[in-house]
Amino acid sequence: MKKWLWVLLAFAAGIGLGLLYGWVISPVEFVDLSPETLRADFRADYILMVAEAYETEHDLDLAARRLAIFGSASPADIASSALPFGPSAGFTPSELALLDALVQDLRGWQPSSGGAP
Amino acid sequence: MNKFPWAAIPALILGLALGLGYAWVLAPVEIVDSSPASLRADFKDGYRAVIAASYAANGDLPRAQSRLALLGDADAYQALSGQAQRALASGDALQSFQLAQLASALQGLAPAAPAPTSTEAMAQVATSTAETSVPPILPNTSTPFDTSALFPVYTPTPRPTRTPIPPPGAPFKLATQEPICDENLPEGLLQVFAMLTNNRRQIPGVELILSWAGGEERFFTGFKPEIGNGYADAILAPNTLYNLRAADGGATLSDLTPPACQRANGESFWGSIKVILQRD
Repeated sequence: MKKWLWVLLAFAAGIGLGLLYGWVISPVEFVDLSPETLRADFRADYILMVAEAYETEHDLDLAARRLAIFGSASPADIASSALPFGPSAGFTPSELALLDALVQDLRGWQPSSGGAP
Repeated sequence: MNKFPWAAIPALILGLALGLGYAWVLAPVEIVDSSPASLRADFKDGYRAVIAASYAANGDLPRAQSRLALLGDADAYQALSGQAQRALASGDALQSFQLAQLASALQGLAPAAPAPTSTEAMAQVATSTAETSVPPILPNTSTPFDTSALFPVYTPTPRPTRTPIPPPGAPFKLATQEPICDENLPEGLLQVFAMLTNNRRQIPGVELILSWAGGEERFFTGFKPEIGNGYADAILAPNTLYNLRAADGGATLSDLTPPACQRANGESFWGSIKVILQRD
């Protein structure tokens, strides 16, 4: 009976050590991640950069291509996802206006042939 | 003396294996809220390009630097320069220009010219570049630049007022043009320096047009900051006449061709030309 207690204890200790090693000491390292995993503030800042560039370039196809790294949602939806986050991220009113302008323009945007996602 | 419970050893190993399997395979640590530094290389390139495009729009260098720091490049300047050259090679002149402009700004210079207001102009650049038949501008080897010391941590809150990008200056004028017989330089090398007249400060990001019978090549200053931030070069073929001018107007230098030179032992070789363009 005592022998099986040792076995059970060793088994449990093994599991515990394995989890400790796998989760804490040497967790799986993730590299080469896709932009969808970006933290919300980084994501919002990226979208703001796209809006800033769009203000000067006036190229909706290019803006849509830049936003497409966040997945297959419509560019307008991707751009608008930054709007609720903007105030808490410290975006200025003018930056929020840039974002809003990009969202509005993207709502009416149709991909040109071969240009957009 | 108690008998050692040998059966516990395989149980321990089995438990360890199960624990590791669960932690690494079945339920690995989930990555959410990652930083741009963890992105795949091509996504990082896209992120870097958008930073440069944003900088071209707002001229806010500190903010661009803090954004670049997020990518964790060991050498942000080199990353920008290299990507600018790749973009130029792939025909994306707009992106190449924006990346080169930001790379030059990182070297301590303000942007020299406003970004194009439309991609159409740069699309024309890309088209004409693709049609060229002369060897392209040589890639540079750049000097190291450590940005990690400048902005090691992302601080998203600073929102400085936009810095207006300076308007383009007066048209370029020819300051000097001289043939150089230097055996150590590549044959037919055309060296161009763009600088301001008043303080002789070099100007990066100036688009130059080199044309000849049947072809045209466009290139930018600032890709070889180790030589000069307003420096650009191209290789001229012997016995061909070239015209050189800045894309935003000014003097056109005509009939440029490599000078015939002689080495000390009497052998002949093609020399190079040094041109200095200035504007007020």
